[in-house]
This record gives sequence, structure tokens and C-alpha cells, in this order.
Amino acid sequence: MTDQIREQVSALLDGELSRDEIGLLVRRMERDPELRRSFGSYSLIGETLRAPGGLTARPSFAARVSAAIDGPESGRVPDVPAAARSPAFWRRPAFATAIAAGVAVAGFLLVQPSTTTSPTSLVARPALVYRAAASPTPAQSQRLAGYLVAHSQFSSPMGRRSVWSGLLAADPSLQRVAYEIQDAP
Amino acid sequence: MSAATSLKRSSGWVVAAVLAVAAQTASASPEEAKQWLQRMTEALATRNYIGLFTHSTPAQSESMRIVHRVENGISLERLVSLDGSGREIIRTREEVHAYLPDRRVVLVEPRSDDGSLLKALPAPDARLDAFYDLDVRKGNRLLGREVRVVDIKPHDRYRYGYRIWLDEKTAMPLRSVVGDGDGRPVEQISFTSLELMKHIPDSEVEATVDATGFQWIRTGRRLAALPPTPPTAGGWRPLHLPPGFRLVASRLQVLPGSPVPAQHLIFSDGMAAISIFIEPGAASGPTPPESSSMGSANAYSTSIKGHVVTAVGEVPVDTVREVATSVVPMGMPTAPIAAPGAPDR
Repeated sequence: MTDQIREQVSALLDGELSRDEIGLLVRRMERDPELRRSFGSYSLIGETLRAPGGLTARPSFAARVSAAIDGPESGRVPDVPAAARSPAFWRRPAFATAIAAGVAVAGFLLVQPSTTTSPTSLVARPALVYRAAASPTPAQSQRLAGYLVAHSQFSSPMGRRSVWSGLLAADPSLQRVAYEIQDAP
Repeated sequence: MSAATSLKRSSGWVVAAVLAVAAQTASASPEEAKQWLQRMTEALATRNYIGLFTHSTPAQSESMRIVHRVENGISLERLVSLDGSGREIIRTREEVHAYLPDRRVVLVEPRSDDGSLLKALPAPDARLDAFYDLDVRKGNRLLGREVRVVDIKPHDRYRYGYRIWLDEKTAMPLRSVVGDGDGRPVEQISFTSLELMKHIPDSEVEATVDATGFQWIRTGRRLAALPPTPPTAGGWRPLHLPPGFRLVASRLQVLPGSPVPAQHLIFSDGMAAISIFIEPGAASGPTPPESSSMGSANAYSTSIKGHVVTAVGEVPVDTVREVATSVVPMGMPTAPIAAPGAPDR
């Protein structure tokens, strides 16, 4: 990752990137796993330092990235009008940000309820991430893949697509981290 | 908070969803929503199509290419990751092949439907609206197509909710979002292109991965189909199943790394499925990870009476955990399992 890209990620997290620049950076993230990981790390650190009593992303940050993701320049399928959406399920700007940017860790952290998280636990969470990232082993991943393939045979066509997509896309160790963060005391 | 408590607590998501539905004056009946779901299921299974889509989860976003071809009533399918791993899954006439180049492994499993998907075409359960609120309405255009939006909102936290954008003309899903009990999306699939075709060449449903030197592991040599009701002896059963999940199949099969057959039980509520694998512990190779999430699919493994018990399904992680940890040998004095014909818990 070049210094210029690093500066752009930093500017994005500081809310200083224009809409067009956000769009370009998000598209670059879609192609670049290293950039996605770096963004996840930066945003985790940034949000941890910034959040006074919780891990909620600042509205300006979430809104700007979400707008870029939902906008026509993103190359994505356009979204339904906001008025047609139910409030909780589909309108989580922070989550939309995480989903589209492919954030490995920050996605789960950004949606943690701020009222349940103390500053102390914020600092403790990255340590949990590091420890959990060491597993599962390749043999475990292979075994998990076997379960998923066997299970998918009994899923609906849509369910099978989801299971297969998860299997193709997943680095199980990353997603296991997310689970363990959710359960952290 | 324990998993059980978490599962039982009231859902703000449901309240919000109900309010949202009430606010929509143009809502259609659940029956119409079910008809759209039926049309979608048929379209997915019977159409020839090639599409590009983005699969997004909280952890990552990845581009995929899907090819689906039907020939003589048999459904062939190929899904390829366009980013990173180069993984690929193909359903041939007889088998499912999962190419994992990053592991230099190909997993092979016989098709459970004996090649004839159309014979075993899954249909939305007639009782679906007992466990979900169903709604359909007109949506904005996607990919230049008129769209219907189907909402499937769960009554409890044991299962996910869905929003699906369907092409009005073909009922093909152009976009779908899966959400958890708190209203957070856990997975999104958005097509950026979708082409329906009369004919798809053979090359499109053949693997592009060079598997030279890969280890081919035949994971699912099916030993015997078990009766679709719980066996009377020697089997296992979960004590806790979410309401509406019924046993739809059970079988014995060999899993990768295990020379000993595992019992495989499959439950469904008409939208989502849960598999339970029960394997003898010590001789069955590496222990699976305790919990894993892959998009909307979750898995949870635990050890029970010298066996490795793993639950896998397109349901929340709390659900697979509660199901897996409730599995007991059949001989134990317990409450009855939810099974075909049995009342729901």
C-alpha cells in the first residue's frame, strides 16, 4: 500500500475525503484485500480512540461512506428509497459501511451498542482479536468446508447460494474473530 | 447473558418491522408473498443464467460469478470467487466439487438429489407465515428491471429475516439481504449483471482451476439413507429445536478426515435449514473449530459423550449453539424431538 493510499484511508476515517474520492477508495478496497485489512485496522484503532463511551461510528463518517456505496458511482445495484425501508433492519449506516468496505473486524465493533461498552473494554478488545486470529487450523477449515458442502445439499436454492458464497469468500479465522468479539465479557 | 436468554429476549427488530409493515398502505397478503417466493424458487432452479454479484458480510466483500444451466431436468451450477482465493464450487450431474486452491484440496460429495433437482424442487413451506411475517410490495427498478420486494421477518430470534428484490418478469432475485434479530444485516448479495440465456456452453459449467497435484477428498460417500423419522435406537437427537423446524432427512455419511461414518440430521422451517453431524470423537481426525461464521451460515461444534456434534445452518450463531449443545443419545429420558407430524415446541 502506497503512502498516498494510506493518507486516503486516514482522510476517509477523519471524514475529510470527498464523495468521489470515497467512491474510488471503496472500489479499490473491493479489489485489494491488503487495503481492506489495513482499513479494518485503522478504523478499529481510530474508533477505539475516538469513542468516549462506546463504539458507535460518527454519523458523518458512516453517512459519507454509505452514500458513496449506495450512490451510482459505486457500480452497485441501486438501493430502495429510504421511506420504503423498515428502520432497524436495513438502515444501519455503520453496518452498511462495514459491509461494503469489507472491514474484517471493525464491522462488528462499529455496531456494538455504545451503552454497554466501557472505555476499559474498548482497549481490551483488540487483544482478543489478536489471540483468536491464530485459529482455526487448515485441517479445521477443511473439515468445516466439508460440513458446509454436505449441508448445502439440503438448503433452498437461495440458501445454497449463501452457503457456497460464504465458503468461497471466507477466511474462517477472520470471521471467527468477529464471533468471539461479540461474546467477549 | 446466556445463549438461551439471548434467544428468548423480546426482539426490537420484530417490533420495528411490524410498525414498518403497518405503515405501508400498499402491502399485499402473505399469500401473494408466498407465491412470489415459489416463483423465485422455480426460477432459480429452472432457468439458465449467468450473473455477477457482490457477496458482502460484516467481514468482507467479494465478487462472485454464478452459472446455472438446466439440461434434461438436471440442474448444473458453478460459483466462482473472482477475488483472492480463486475458490470454486461446481455441481455436476452426479457430484458437488469444491475447489479450494489455497488449501490445494478438492472436496467431492455425491449430490443428495441424485442429479434431479427438479424432482426435489424445494417449495416455501405452507406454514411459513406461522414463523415469519410476509409482505410484498412494488420496488424501485434494479438493473433496468421492474422489481417486487419481498420481506420475510422472523417472529423470533432463532432465525434470520430476509429482504429480497425480485425481477417482476422472471422472479429472479436481483438482490437479497439477510438480517439478524437485532435488525443488523449479516449478508448481502447484489447482482451487478444477470443474463438469462437459452443455451449455456459446456465450458461455462466446467472448472477453471488447475487441480493438478491437489488432494481429492471424497467427503460424502453416503452409506445409507435413514428413515425421515428419528431412529428408535442408536441415534441422536436435539432436545432444543426452534419452533417450526422439522426433520426432513437423515443419513449416514463419511466426512473429510474421518474414516467413521457420521450421522447427519437435516431440519428445515421452510426457509432455513439446520444440519447436525454426530461423529465418534477420538478417531475422526482434527476437532472442528468451536464456532465459525461464513456469511449467513454459522457452525458450532461441541463434544458430547465422546462424540463431536456439529450444527450448521443459515440461522444465527446462538441457534446452532443451542441446537448442538442439546443433542443427546436417543436412549436418554428427554422431551420429544420436533419431527414430521409432531407438534412444534
